[in-house]
Amino acid sequence: MVDRPLDEAELVERARRGDLEAWETLVRTYQGIAFRTAYLLAGNAADAEEAAQDGFVKAHRALGRFRRGAALRPWLLRIVANEARNRRRSAGRRERLVMRAIEEVRPGDAVPSPEAALLAREEQERLLAALERLPDDHRDAIACRFLLELSEEETAAALGIRRGTVKSRLARALARLRETLEAEA
Amino acid sequence: MSSLEQRLQQLGQELAYPPAPDLASRARFSGRLFPWRAIALAAAVVAVAIAAAFAVPQARTTILRWFHLRGVTVERVETLPEAQERSSAGGLGRRLTLEQAQRRVGFDLLLPPLDGRPAAYVLDNALATVILRVGDRPLLLSEYVARDYALLKKSVAEKAVVEPVRVEGKRGLWLEGPPHTLTYFNGNGEFRQRTVKITGNVLLWTHGPVTLRLEGRIAKAQALRLARRIG
Repeated sequence: MVDRPLDEAELVERARRGDLEAWETLVRTYQGIAFRTAYLLAGNAADAEEAAQDGFVKAHRALGRFRRGAALRPWLLRIVANEARNRRRSAGRRERLVMRAIEEVRPGDAVPSPEAALLAREEQERLLAALERLPDDHRDAIACRFLLELSEEETAAALGIRRGTVKSRLARALARLRETLEAEA
Repeated sequence: MSSLEQRLQQLGQELAYPPAPDLASRARFSGRLFPWRAIALAAAVVAVAIAAAFAVPQARTTILRWFHLRGVTVERVETLPEAQERSSAGGLGRRLTLEQAQRRVGFDLLLPPLDGRPAAYVLDNALATVILRVGDRPLLLSEYVARDYALLKKSVAEKAVVEPVRVEGKRGLWLEGPPHTLTYFNGNGEFRQRTVKITGNVLLWTHGPVTLRLEGRIAKAQALRLARRIG
């Protein structure tokens, strides 16, 4: 008999029955996206870590109420994101987002000219600065949908709003972002 | 997808996220360190050594293990140890004036606004308790500074609620449900134990170096409100 990896539904079932390893596997699978989501919503690393931890605790306690056959990721993200938003409300502080340092180019890589790379970098920095100035609800919608590349369903779950609201909020947020960028051009 | 949306996606890939914590490994570590069957033993002596860890069974508890409140160990057990019912002031130590109590424990007690100066009970020169009254109900407010040992251990039955809470942004724990027991440890290198049964609910939280414990027949929301007025 060949062992095969357990699928998510099986892992959830096992976790429901108290299987610690199954729950660990699920935590490992989603801890990265959960933490990044919490970071963008809470606004700082310490609160994000707590939110992710507390979120997983609450999720595990609520596994009995998780609907069989449903996707686990949006459900987890909703719980973690809720923790993160609560912390932002209580903390009232947010770290400024920064871009990664430019990585060194390896020999043989196809690269743009240094001038083009610098220009692109500056454009992205400008975009980030404009994004940071948006109201929280617009910024959160863009962060979830585009920066984190969550689906509309996951974005709705993370923000605690309906999918239709996600669409309309994104449309307004993008329009406002465009206006800001054009005004600064 | 518009060019702006593409640029935002690209931006998301270029962001410098802080390193993600390895939550799964913490869970595994905790689970192995505190296996369910071994918890009873943790009881006593081991609890002193492992300091402020919450040892609770299975996955739920493994994760609760991550929550630290200095000097407190909370564990779930299948069977609560033999314990005596406690009256409000019984077993809390010697009754002193507030000033005497503060000298004994070495720190100023955190109190809500009160009429007058309450008496305080001091145990082992470390744990100070004041009896508050909310309406006609007595509440016990206990405080101590945990140094390098666990002073208190709480045992809760499987059915009890152990819920992380926040008090003024600080971590705390709300314990509610079936009676649980409280064990006091002596911090002088010798192990002494006094087990009492508590039938009320308990809120644990920290304020600076002080760990606070509010206990009594009180609802969670009311306990949290009171805690915010204390510290």
